[in-house]
Amino acid sequence: MKLLQRGRRFALAAALAAGAATGAPAMAQDAYVVGISAALTGPAAATYAPVIDAMRAYADHVNGKGGVNGKPIRLVILDNQGEPSKAAADAKKLLSQDNVILLVNSSLSSTYAPMIAESRRAKVPLLYAGAVCPKETYPPADPLQFCTTSFGAQYDSQLAMGFVKDNAKEPPRIGFSAMAIPISRGEIEFAEELARKMGMGTTSKEIIPPPTPDYTPFATKLKDGGSNWVYSWAPWVTQVRTFEALRRLGWNGRYIAYAHIQAEDELARIKDPELHVFGANAFVRDDLPVHAEIRAATVRANLPYPVTQLTEGFIAGLALEAALKATPWPATPAKVLAAMNNLKVDMKGLRGGPLEWTKDNHFRTRQYYRVYRWDPARNAVVQVKDWTALDVR
Amino acid sequence: MQLAVNIAVLAAIYALIACGYVLIYRVSRVLNLAHGELMMLAAYLLLSTASMFSGHPVAALAASLVLAIAVGVMVYVFLMRKMTGEQVLAAVLATVALGILLRGVMVLVWSAQQQYPAQALGWVNASLPVPGGARISVAAAALVACTTLVYGSLFAFLRFSRWGIRMRAAGQNPLLAAQRGIGLHGIYALAWALATFTGGIAGMLIALDSGLDQTMVVIGLKAFPAALVGGLDSLLGALLGALVIAAAEVLLIHYVDPLLSDVVPFLVLIAMLVVRPWGLLGTREELDRV
Repeated sequence: MKLLQRGRRFALAAALAAGAATGAPAMAQDAYVVGISAALTGPAAATYAPVIDAMRAYADHVNGKGGVNGKPIRLVILDNQGEPSKAAADAKKLLSQDNVILLVNSSLSSTYAPMIAESRRAKVPLLYAGAVCPKETYPPADPLQFCTTSFGAQYDSQLAMGFVKDNAKEPPRIGFSAMAIPISRGEIEFAEELARKMGMGTTSKEIIPPPTPDYTPFATKLKDGGSNWVYSWAPWVTQVRTFEALRRLGWNGRYIAYAHIQAEDELARIKDPELHVFGANAFVRDDLPVHAEIRAATVRANLPYPVTQLTEGFIAGLALEAALKATPWPATPAKVLAAMNNLKVDMKGLRGGPLEWTKDNHFRTRQYYRVYRWDPARNAVVQVKDWTALDVR
Repeated sequence: MQLAVNIAVLAAIYALIACGYVLIYRVSRVLNLAHGELMMLAAYLLLSTASMFSGHPVAALAASLVLAIAVGVMVYVFLMRKMTGEQVLAAVLATVALGILLRGVMVLVWSAQQQYPAQALGWVNASLPVPGGARISVAAAALVACTTLVYGSLFAFLRFSRWGIRMRAAGQNPLLAAQRGIGLHGIYALAWALATFTGGIAGMLIALDSGLDQTMVVIGLKAFPAALVGGLDSLLGALLGALVIAAAEVLLIHYVDPLLSDVVPFLVLIAMLVVRPWGLLGTREELDRV
């Protein structure tokens, strides 16, 4: 059975490698054709591949119910391996050969520029799903760029620093950890400044190159700096490996990091009550009715990822479905854009409130966060702080 | 003291990976640019054997090491052997293609998500106290111990064993060695097997220490400057190069700027190429030949 599953995955990958789509080639458009360029392989794949798999499963789920406005959604999925040159080639192919009405990026921020350029040239909207929301999606938003991804620069650190201030048992001395990529560095610098403005002490700031064979030298510096809190806003690998290196050095402070898609399983693996994660997506442990839907779709699509990693992609699927539903047939990029400029998507509890886009705001009008940690007494991941809203202006 | 421990661990990682580059280059003059992928493959094999031999971590480790050796032999037999008589550049490009293929296969078989072989083995990577107030994880201590053991064994093997002497002879002058009855294909296959074995140990221990994902390939490449700084045909040089680069990296992280850790191996490499292009203990003749 496992061999059969692997065979199916191999066949899918072979199709992707050949530039084919999940479905028939797009000639006369009889479907809503959406083009995706994502880091499905390569060093960053762990973050992005589950998002796209979940989107694919969601699209299959919608198509199974008759599609949107009586038409199926066809996803044309290409692998950019996190490389800008491949993302550029993908965007060109998707726009010129597949005639997609919407582009989706789920990859490293270095792949944004070539896709933005192609999106502007063709006047086709570009959606970031599972990839960090660029500031161009914040008000006043770029006319063509939209984002469903849960994390958002500056808002995340406001929540994190507020949480540290409210929950510190003694005056906080915060150390910071980022990955050596512009978005992560920028956010950590913002957080450091914010902490100082809020009257909290700061210690050292470690900018860690990706990937690093041993995180201990960076952790040593954070520990030696006398931090009793460490805040990390970076890809999960940097966040968790810095934390584990700190613990192995005997550091007994408290740690707060963003809850990326791996966070729920990782809290259960590490079982450390002082590792806090905050995020905009509800955990599967919350056991909402929609989680049963995600589980069922995961089983049907035979996805290789745990259900805990699929919320981000499912949310992108919800937004995509809502946008296409508001796009009258025959669909054109201009009609999709008009629909996306005035969209309110029910998140079914996966977020603290609806995802709302306006003409000026392509991020969301309110950003909601929950905080989780491991509770040894209950031997489970628990909620530390319920939805907290921040207005996006 | 913690800084010294950090340097020792990082140097052990780089040295264990770099010796794979050196072994293959020394014997066949081929730069194996798929070494990072082969190292990662061994770590994924450990993940599979851990689930096959559930509850028997030693058996899982032993099985994965045997598989790593088998992979090395197969790479030679099915790919690199066909390169015999071709230009060295063609062989190097073959390793690049092999790396791309392996990366794709690994994603398909084990998916792109972060994996934890230690968890699969039911093993906890505890932290051990070191005299002087420092600490080291069990996996990191094992890395240092394995590197010491591997280098000690390789020195003894190359100096005293019949196959080791044949390997050195084949590296120095393959034509003469062949005329003396040394089976070159056997020697080359052995070099690939040993390189994959040592790289595999590094991959497995890194994965046991901090987890396993697709980024391990890049870690494999980060050890390459250590081999070049030491001299591509010298095992002792690889050890020394690893120590120099690890010390520079750790000290710069601690005293100057953590960002420098990414560039310092290459700064050291450039300095070495300017001052002594054949590396600390490399053979000057090798450079002339290049």
